[in-house]
Amino acid sequence: MTSTRTHISSGTALQTLRQTVARIDAAHAVAPVAENALSLGRPEIDHLLGGGLARGAMHEVAPTAALHLGAATGFTLALAVLAGAQAKDTIWIQTDFAAAEVGPPYGPGLDAFGLASERLVVLRVPRAIDVLWAMEEALKHRAPAAVIAELTDDAADLTATRRLALAARHGGGLGLLLRHRATSDPSAAMTRWEVAAAAGPRDAFGGLGRTTFALSLVRNRRGPAGRFTLSWDHHAHVFVAAAVSRGVVETARDRPARAPLVRAG
Amino acid sequence: MWLRRLATDRLARLSSAPADQAFATVAPIKSALRLASVNDAAARLGLNPGMALADARAMYPGLGVADDDPAADLALLTAIADWCDRYTPLVALDPPDGLILDVTGCAHLFGGEALLACDLVGRLARQGFVARAAVADTVGGAFAVAHHGATLTAMILPPGETRDALLSLPLAALRLPAETVDALAEVGLKRIADVIERPRAPLAARFGAALLHRLDQALGRVDEPISPRLPLPACVAERRFADPIALEADVLGTIAHLAAELARVLERRGEGARLLQAALFRTDGKVRRIEVGTAEPLRDPVRVKRLFTEKLAALADAWDPGFGFDMVRLSALATAPFMPAQSGLIADDHADHVADMAHLIDVLGARFGLRRVTRLVAQDTHIPEYAVAALPASAVGRGTALPSPLPACGERSRAKRAGEGASPRARASRIEEEHVVRKGPLTRPPSAVDLSPQAGRGGARGSAVPPSHEQDTQIPTRPVRLLARPEPIEAIAEVPDGPPVRFRWRRVLHLVAASEGPERIAMQWWHDCDGNALTRDYFRVESRDGIRLWLYREGLFVRETGEPRWFVHGVFA
Repeated sequence: MTSTRTHISSGTALQTLRQTVARIDAAHAVAPVAENALSLGRPEIDHLLGGGLARGAMHEVAPTAALHLGAATGFTLALAVLAGAQAKDTIWIQTDFAAAEVGPPYGPGLDAFGLASERLVVLRVPRAIDVLWAMEEALKHRAPAAVIAELTDDAADLTATRRLALAARHGGGLGLLLRHRATSDPSAAMTRWEVAAAAGPRDAFGGLGRTTFALSLVRNRRGPAGRFTLSWDHHAHVFVAAAVSRGVVETARDRPARAPLVRAG
Repeated sequence: MWLRRLATDRLARLSSAPADQAFATVAPIKSALRLASVNDAAARLGLNPGMALADARAMYPGLGVADDDPAADLALLTAIADWCDRYTPLVALDPPDGLILDVTGCAHLFGGEALLACDLVGRLARQGFVARAAVADTVGGAFAVAHHGATLTAMILPPGETRDALLSLPLAALRLPAETVDALAEVGLKRIADVIERPRAPLAARFGAALLHRLDQALGRVDEPISPRLPLPACVAERRFADPIALEADVLGTIAHLAAELARVLERRGEGARLLQAALFRTDGKVRRIEVGTAEPLRDPVRVKRLFTEKLAALADAWDPGFGFDMVRLSALATAPFMPAQSGLIADDHADHVADMAHLIDVLGARFGLRRVTRLVAQDTHIPEYAVAALPASAVGRGTALPSPLPACGERSRAKRAGEGASPRARASRIEEEHVVRKGPLTRPPSAVDLSPQAGRGGARGSAVPPSHEQDTQIPTRPVRLLARPEPIEAIAEVPDGPPVRFRWRRVLHLVAASEGPERIAMQWWHDCDGNALTRDYFRVESRDGIRLWLYREGLFVRETGEPRWFVHGVFA
């Protein structure tokens, strides 16, 4: 990035230095396409992510508003399922407070959603700071398919997320930080998603349609941000394109990240 | 071993009074304050336990007095028993002031029984305790000699000489009740020698079987088991230090060394440890025990060290080395057969995954407690909040490959296609066909009556469906989060059993855009003694914002309650 600019020709030394910095920077920059990236099954999203959601990295998911926490949870779980939670164990870290406030993961519901509940290890910790410690520890081990950690507050600052990102790179696992509140604080996460529940289409009999997420990819280290609407097929364990429900204008691509959905009529 | 002056020694250790000052503890006995215990100085002045405090004060106004505290004495005795663990793992309490140590097979480590006893008494004396130790063939014999023997500190009875040593001792040495001793004294039987050769039948008839039983115990004719205070470890490794160690890194290094020793022993036995305990013996006699449990049998020293590192980090403030530890012992309290597994060359091998997962669970468990690392285990009940239990992962997850409980995807998608293609009427009839309608003399509702969507009004009530049955709907039938407890909401719904139209939950008003239900779940009447458990009608509800919740109405309108209440129970994705 820095090397592309032209500069005053006061000295070649400065130029050389900048080139050196650029080389070092490139060595640390993430590879454009990861070979073991986790495909979300939707080409338009995978393209933005540079092949898919990077493993060995940490990703943040947050609801756009507190009420949409269920949707954010669902999206996080869907990512864990795609990461191979059927074959390997997944860890879910939660504080006692979070369990009392928004409820612990519910086994039959997870089974129905696609994540085998007997493959899930749930860790309850007393304090928010313990969530970060446990998540780092779990990410360092290469055993779990995914590590889901719930944060009720903004305890994860840049330093903490940097540690988590390094641990994830070390262990090669998928770290999913489920924040209960969207934040614009800096973070070392590879991607940051904001999730809202989208009013799903009705099924043929007027019943509830597929679980549908209105996703905003608000931060992406490998490419531009974007907005998508996806449905989760809990039978086949894949994301499918959402059938747009009546009355909602289709969301525009590449709009400012936080623009709200517009309801027509 | 007998701690002659336990109560007064305890207080003397706390106070700065000179040792030769007469001192006693008092307790209200027989409606008067009486001396409960006295120290050596007071005993030399002629004061005895049982004497009234007023009399003692009259004789010696300078007598120091404190309240008797048997609980503190017992706690101290327990602490001393902990400390005696350094000699033998088999230590039993003999309240109020004795300890029984089984030194069989341990004495040679200390240079013989005599040196062991001298070491024990000497160390206790430096701590301020007056102790008398006796080593004998039997517990009864050792007790008798320790309490009533001639010597002051330690006495060793060589094997086979217990009987001779007992002959001259008073009968009280046999641990008999005071009234039996008095009764024997009345007929002139005062020493053990007086009864040892007498015919047994008359003695038993007159003084009870306890006398002969105690005599037999002392002589070794009857076996007397001692019940150790702590569980006996399967394997033990320990290290003593001439110079105490206090640094955490040193302690952990020692534990790693001991774990390597332990691993060799466990390997010979073909076992791994499930519960490990590190006992840190502080120089001032306090013993700190740290336990770590494991999910899988373990003997890798590096992993053992790792677990103790986490445990010590979690202890933080409670970690108090004081003047240092002069002995560290690592014991495997529980072991299990250790199956050697062939690890694969491929990185994501299943066996490796299981082992890594077990280690991760151990590490997290060492830090937060193994009870906090849980796995979800399905329970055999229809009540949603009891349908799953979070059990410690170390207890349930033996990590082996578990088959997925879900039916194959193909089956379900077939069922779904059938449902999607049909008209509502056709679909309802199909559901009724599938269901076996229960026609029995049921006066009470069955445990779970599962009404499928849209079939509710059609009179299919009473048809039972297995709860695991995937219903014909496009969203999962159970929420991903179940609230810690159902939260009451204000809801407006059609009577008698319509879905909610709008409701207010956590101060937010939700307008219902679509709903599925009711799914009727009756409480378990066989557990409900009062008969006030109400049937629940569950609805899957989507608000106009797209938020999906699991609501239920508690109580059937009119039949069970006049005003059914509404609750939010879970949150869908």
